Amino acid sequence: MSKTLMVTGASKGIGLETVRRFLQNDAEVTTIVLVARESEDYTQALAELEEINERGVTLAPYFADLADRGGVIRLCAEIVKAHGNVDILVNNAGYTKPVPLQQVDFADFERTIAVNLYAPFTFVQELLHHGNKFELIVNIASTAGINGRSGWLTYSASKAAVINMSEVMREELAIYGTRVVCISPGRTATALRRVLAPDEDPSTIMQPQDVAEVIEMLASPVGRFVDSANLVVRQ
Amino acid sequence: MYSLLLLNGGVGARVAAGQPKQLIKVKGIPILVYSLVAADAVPEIDQIVLNYPEGWRDDVERIVTDYAIKTPVTYVEAGATRHESVAAMLSSATNDHVVVHESARPLVTTADFAALVAAEAENVSLMLEIPFTVAPVDPEQRKVTGYLERSTLRNVQLPQKFAKADLVDAHQKASAEGKTYTEDATLVAVAGHDVRFIDGNDRNIKVTTPTDVRLATYLLSGGEEGWDE
Repeated sequence: MSKTLMVTGASKGIGLETVRRFLQNDAEVTTIVLVARESEDYTQALAELEEINERGVTLAPYFADLADRGGVIRLCAEIVKAHGNVDILVNNAGYTKPVPLQQVDFADFERTIAVNLYAPFTFVQELLHHGNKFELIVNIASTAGINGRSGWLTYSASKAAVINMSEVMREELAIYGTRVVCISPGRTATALRRVLAPDEDPSTIMQPQDVAEVIEMLASPVGRFVDSANLVVRQ
Repeated sequence: MYSLLLLNGGVGARVAAGQPKQLIKVKGIPILVYSLVAADAVPEIDQIVLNYPEGWRDDVERIVTDYAIKTPVTYVEAGATRHESVAAMLSSATNDHVVVHESARPLVTTADFAALVAAEAENVSLMLEIPFTVAPVDPEQRKVTGYLERSTLRNVQLPQKFAKADLVDAHQKASAEGKTYTEDATLVAVAGHDVRFIDGNDRNIKVTTPTDVRLATYLLSGGEEGWDE
């Protein structure tokens, strides 16, 4: 069995750690499609991944700004053409600019929804339209999507929508035998977390590799028994 | 290889007045989708002949496109009767063997189609034992007229498969004799062709009433597993 894994927001944090774990541990995954914005972090991450790529997995990096829906649509066509079926999709990319209600810039709210909600929706819908059959879709939400957080209106609202969207996806894609899991991590030491809580010591909270390990478990045989619509992962 | 004749043209007045049956949704998904997706995963089915009620072709085509059904689909307008519909669909079937199914049975599985295709005989129907007693009656006089041995009776289900020539012949004979049948297994058998059955599944219900829609939704939601919790 040869599977293709696709991870958005793959240049750092939970996305990068997810790629790393599958690269090293999952013998069935032979192609990993990485999607992120072009950055030095991304270039460096790709070089590091190639160094530990002992199994000769095909690492296929793509550059995209997920706020650009047209770009996401074109990217899907490109990925299908180059790699065929995406078996496991991890919708991880996230964006936030936390400000109180009175200071929300509407364009920024739109960008938050575009990256956090419309992009994962568009990846799934477009790939389905191309005839893709997913085995597993993991949508990364947040505990901030379960309860609204003062000062995080746009982010909390976008992640609440991701949790709800995942429930619908889970029901509708059951016709293909696709499993859809939503993970809501609590405080995790990522770049996004540093934006949300700049004064926090990242060494005291959950690490991206902990969340990546949960994603790896979901894709493993035992993952079939973790049939939760929204899996809360927190310290 | 097989052509699937997917009956989809009846107007389901019993479920939702004014809306054709196949546009009824189960679990928020058009009922037609379930059969299309299940059949699309069967390699032996390389053509789907799909009928549509007059005026609904665009909606039906849109469903096929949106769900990226990869098996080529031939569209045929529904006839005035089931006989007319099947006859029209048969003339569009490109294979010598056909599978007949109806979209009103959304709980059909890929495994059901695969088991049917794998069955040795040419003409085969899914059928189910009848777990209750039925009686022959004279409905006008409301009089019981005898006894039926239920071990020799079966609940006729779909899908079914036939040699196209046998099904065409049976339809022509029924038409010549002015007889109407509500399904094709007994029609083909009465016409003198050998028809066999394999065991169906009691989940594969026909959705015809609002209660059926609720039951199908429950079954498709995995509701029956809920007793574990």
